[in-house]
Amino acid sequence: MSGYKQIAVLLVLLGMLFSGVVVAEEEKPKEIVLGASVPMTGPFAFAGIQLNAGLNDFVDWVNEQGGIEGHRVRYIGEDTGYQTDQSVAVFRRITSRADVNFYFGDSTAFQQTINRELERRDILLTGASFASELNDPERYPLQFMLGPDYSEQVGMLLEYIAEETPGASVMLIHSDTEFGRDPIRAARERAEALGLEIAGTIVTPPGASDISAEALKLRRAGPDYAIFHGYVLSPIPEFIRRARQMRLETKFMGTFYTMDQTMIDEMGEAAEGFMGVMPYRYFYDESGPAPIMDVIREINDEYRTNTYVQGWLTGLLMKTIAGETLRAGKALTGSNMRETLDSLEDIDTGGIFGQPVNFRGNSIPLGRIYRADVEAGRMVPVSDWIELE
Amino acid sequence: MQGLIEFIEISLTGLGMGGLYALTGVAFVLIYKATRVINLAIGEMLMVGAYLFFGLAAGLALPWWLAILFALAGGGLLGLLLERAVIRPMLGENPISVFMVTIGLGSILVGLVELIWTADPRRLPQFLPDEPIFLGPVFVFPEPFWSFVIAAAVIGVFVLLFRYWRGGVALRATALDQGAAYAMGINVPRVYALAWMLAGMIAAGAGMLLGSIAGLSPALALFGLTVLVVVIVGGLDSVPGVLLAGILIGWIESLAGSYLGGEYEHLVTFALLLVVLLVRPWGLFGTPEVERL
Amino acid sequence: MRIGSPKQSYAADEALFRTPTQWTWFGILLVSLALYPFMADQYWLYLACLISINIISATGLNILTGYTGQVSLGQAAFMGVGAYTVAWLDTHTGAPFFVNLLAGAGMATVAGVIFGLPSLRVKGLYLAIATIAASFILQFVFINWESVTRGMRGMNIDPPQVMGTALADPDQFYWLVVPIMVVMVLGAANLFRTRIGRAFIAIRDRDISASVLGIHLPTYKLMSFAIASFYAGMAGGLWAYFFGAINPESFPLLMSIFLLAAIIVGGMGTILGGILGAIFMTLTPEALRYGVDLLSPFIEDASVILSPVRTMVFGLLIVGFLLFEPHGLAEIWRRVRRFFHLWPFRN
Repeated sequence: MSGYKQIAVLLVLLGMLFSGVVVAEEEKPKEIVLGASVPMTGPFAFAGIQLNAGLNDFVDWVNEQGGIEGHRVRYIGEDTGYQTDQSVAVFRRITSRADVNFYFGDSTAFQQTINRELERRDILLTGASFASELNDPERYPLQFMLGPDYSEQVGMLLEYIAEETPGASVMLIHSDTEFGRDPIRAARERAEALGLEIAGTIVTPPGASDISAEALKLRRAGPDYAIFHGYVLSPIPEFIRRARQMRLETKFMGTFYTMDQTMIDEMGEAAEGFMGVMPYRYFYDESGPAPIMDVIREINDEYRTNTYVQGWLTGLLMKTIAGETLRAGKALTGSNMRETLDSLEDIDTGGIFGQPVNFRGNSIPLGRIYRADVEAGRMVPVSDWIELE
Repeated sequence: MQGLIEFIEISLTGLGMGGLYALTGVAFVLIYKATRVINLAIGEMLMVGAYLFFGLAAGLALPWWLAILFALAGGGLLGLLLERAVIRPMLGENPISVFMVTIGLGSILVGLVELIWTADPRRLPQFLPDEPIFLGPVFVFPEPFWSFVIAAAVIGVFVLLFRYWRGGVALRATALDQGAAYAMGINVPRVYALAWMLAGMIAAGAGMLLGSIAGLSPALALFGLTVLVVVIVGGLDSVPGVLLAGILIGWIESLAGSYLGGEYEHLVTFALLLVVLLVRPWGLFGTPEVERL
Repeated sequence: MRIGSPKQSYAADEALFRTPTQWTWFGILLVSLALYPFMADQYWLYLACLISINIISATGLNILTGYTGQVSLGQAAFMGVGAYTVAWLDTHTGAPFFVNLLAGAGMATVAGVIFGLPSLRVKGLYLAIATIAASFILQFVFINWESVTRGMRGMNIDPPQVMGTALADPDQFYWLVVPIMVVMVLGAANLFRTRIGRAFIAIRDRDISASVLGIHLPTYKLMSFAIASFYAGMAGGLWAYFFGAINPESFPLLMSIFLLAAIIVGGMGTILGGILGAIFMTLTPEALRYGVDLLSPFIEDASVILSPVRTMVFGLLIVGFLLFEPHGLAEIWRRVRRFFHLWPFRN
C-alpha cells in the first residue's frame, strides 16, 4: 500500500467515527413511531422475517385507514441477528434518531437488558419473548406480552392433559437455555395441582448432538405425554422418531415457536399427532368471525405464519392502546399507555384470538390446543379456547 | 440386571457419537500430521458437508446416494481450496497465527452457509435404516448404530490406505520427517493438498451422518469443539489415540447425559480436557515435545 | 520532516512520549475525547462507550497474548466473572460503583490466575485450548450457581451513582468509562517500561532464554494472566453497568474470539494495536450496515444478508490481516507516520 492510499483509508475511518456527529432529526407532527429489533437473520430468522413483514403490512393497512386517531404510523425495524448486543445497538440507534412511542423486542435477554432504558425513555414495549420472568408488572411495568407466557402455555397443555387423561404421567423435555428452562418450575407445580405425575425432565445439551441417550430415558419412564420446550425444530423430530422406534405410545406436545405450520411441515412424518398450544388463529382457520384475519387473507394469497400474524397483533394492540390514550387526551408516553392497557377489558383482536382478551399481569393467558394432521397439512383444534386464571 | 442392560444400552448409544468423534478426529489428525496445522474450522467443514448434501438432495432433488457422492467431492474440493488459498501462504508462520486463520476460515464458512441456506433449522433426508436393532435384550437405536458402523468402515479403509497406498505412505513419510521426504523425491506440497482434500471428504461424510442424526443447522459446527477435545485427549498426532479418545468421549458424554443430565455433557468433556492438559498434555498416545523448561 | 531524535539518557529512551510533537498530539487527543460528547448524538456516544470497554479488554488480552505470547480464548469469560461480581455486589451490598468495579476486576484476577495454571504446564496451542475449556467451565458456573447468579434468568444492575446522579445515558456513562480506559491504557503502556513488562516480552520471544536470564517463568506467566484478567474484569464490570443486565449468554466464546481478532487486526504486541483493533472491529459492523442500507434499493431484503455478511467479513478480516498485514493496523499507522516524518522524501 502506498502512503496516499493509507491516508485515504485512515480518513475514511475517521469519517466513519465522526459522521454521526451531524445527524439531527426534525420532528414531524402527529406521528406514532414503532421501533423494532427484529431477528431477520440468525437462528430466529424464520420468525423475524415474518414478524417484520407482518408489522410492515399492518402499518401500510392502518395508514390507509387513516392512521390512529389521525396520527400516521411509522415503522422502523432493523435486523439483530438474534444477538442481544446487536439488539441493544439497534434500540439505541432507532431511539436516538426518532421519537419512539412503541418498541418491539426480539428476545428475553434484550427485553431484560433494555428494561431500565424503557423506564427512562418512557416507551412501551412488547416483544417476541414469552418468558415467564417478564410476566411481572412490578419489575417490567412498561412491557407486555403478545399471548400467554411459557409457563402459561405449558399450563394450558397440562390442563388439556388432565382433562383428556386424568392422572397421566408427563415428561418435560427442554433445552439447556434460558428459553428452555423457563416454564419447568411452574409446570411441576401446576402438574401437582392438576393431579398429574411428572415422570421427569430431560435436558438436552446446546448445539447439535445425538439425543439417543436422552431418548432411552424416555423409554425408561414411558410417559403418556411429553412436552417439548425451548426448541424450534431439532431435536423434536429426532425424539419422535426414536420414540416410534421404541414403540412408545407417548403423545408429544410443543409450545408457540414449534407450532407454526411451516415447522410442522418440516418435521415430516414425525409430526403426525403432534399437539401443542397456539394463542393465535392459523391463517387457514376460517371458523367464526375474524375481520382482521380476513384482511390478512385478502392481502396475502399464500399461507402466512403465526409469527406474521403476531406482527399484526402487535400493531393492533398498539392501535387500541394508542387510540384509547389519545382519546383520553393524554400524551403517548409509555406510562400513560400502560395505564390505558391496565384499564382495557375484553380487547377485540379482530379474531386473531378466538375471543376478546384480557391482560393478567403482562400476559394474555389465552390459547388453544391443536393437533397436527399431516395428510391435510393443517393444525386441527382439539380443545376450546382455554383461558387460565 | 435391569440396571446393567440400561448401562449397556446407554454405552452403545454413546458409541454412535463416539464413532463420529473418532472419524472427525481422524480428519483433524490427518491435517495436523501432514501440515502441523491445528484446524479449528473442522466443525465448519463438517457443517458445510451436511449443507451440501442437503442442497443436493433436498434442493436439487438428486437421489440420496448421488447427493452423498457429490457432497463428498464438494468437501474434498473445499479442503483443497482452503489449503491452496489460505493455509499454504501461511506455512512457516507462527503456529498461533495459523490457528487463528482457521478460526477466521470457520467464520467465513458459517457466513457463507447462512447466506446460501439461511440459519433456519432443517432436516436432512433420511438415508440411515429406521429399524431398531436388538442385541439380545439390549435395544440399540438404528441411527447411532449405523453411523458407528459406517464410521468404523471408513476409518478402516483409511488405515489400510495409509499403510499400503503410495499416497498414504508419502503422507506418513512427510509427517515423519519433511526434509527427508523432500529428499526422497516426495512432492510435499502435493501431500499437503492431499491431506486437506482427504480431511475435507471425511469431514463432509461425518457431517452428513451427524446431520441425519441430530438435525441440520449452523450450530452443527459446535461439534468441532468436542472434536478438539477428542484429539487433545488422544494425542494430536496419533490416529489410534483419537480413535480411542473418540469412543471414550462419546461414551462418557452419553453416561453424563443419562445419569447427570444433558447440561453436564459439555462440562464433563471440558473438565476431562483440563485434567489431560495438566497431567499429560500430549494426550494418551501423542508424542511428547522434547523441549523442557 | 523530522530528522533523528537523539536521546541522552535511558529514561528518555523508554519514555512513552519522546518529543514535544507527541505530547502535543496526545493533548489534542485528550481534548477531542473531552469534546466528543458535546458533538455526537446518543448513538455515537453509545458506540464510543462500547469501544472504550472493548479497548480495555483488548488491551488486557494484548498484554497476555501480544506481549507475553500466551494465547487465550477465555478473555470474555473473565469479563463475565467481573460482570457477575459487580452485579452481585450491586444487588447485595449497594457499595459505591468504584468499589464494585475494583472488586470485579479483583475476582476476575483470581479466576485468571486459577485458569492460568495450565500455562505452567502447556503453551501455545494447548494453552489456547485450555482457555476454551476454562470459558466453558465458567459459563457452566454462571448458569448453575443459581443462588449467586440467578442462573439463566440473569441479573439486573442499577446504573452507577456519582454524587446523586445516575450515569445511565451514554453521554453520562462516557465520563466514567473513557477516563478509566485512558488510565488503563496508559497503565498498560507504562507496564512495558518496567522489569515486569520486559520480562513478559522476553518470555514471548523465547521462554527458555528468558528463564536463563533469571526470569521465573511460572510467576511471570501467572502475573500476565492476572493482569490480563484484571483488565477483563474491569471491562466486564463496566459492561454490566453499561448494559444494566447480564445473563450467562452475555459473554460467549465468540466474544473471546472477537477480542483476539481485534488484537490481530490492530496489531499484537503494541498498545496502539489493541486500541485500533477494538475501534475497527466495533465499527466494522456499523460500516457494513451503512453498506447494506446503500444496497437496499437494489437488492430485495438486503437486511436479511447483513448478519451472514457480518460473519463472513469478520472471518475475512482475521484471515486477510494474518495473510497480508500480520502486524495489523498499528503497522499501517506506523508507515503513515513514517511517510509524514520523511516527507517530502520518499520512504
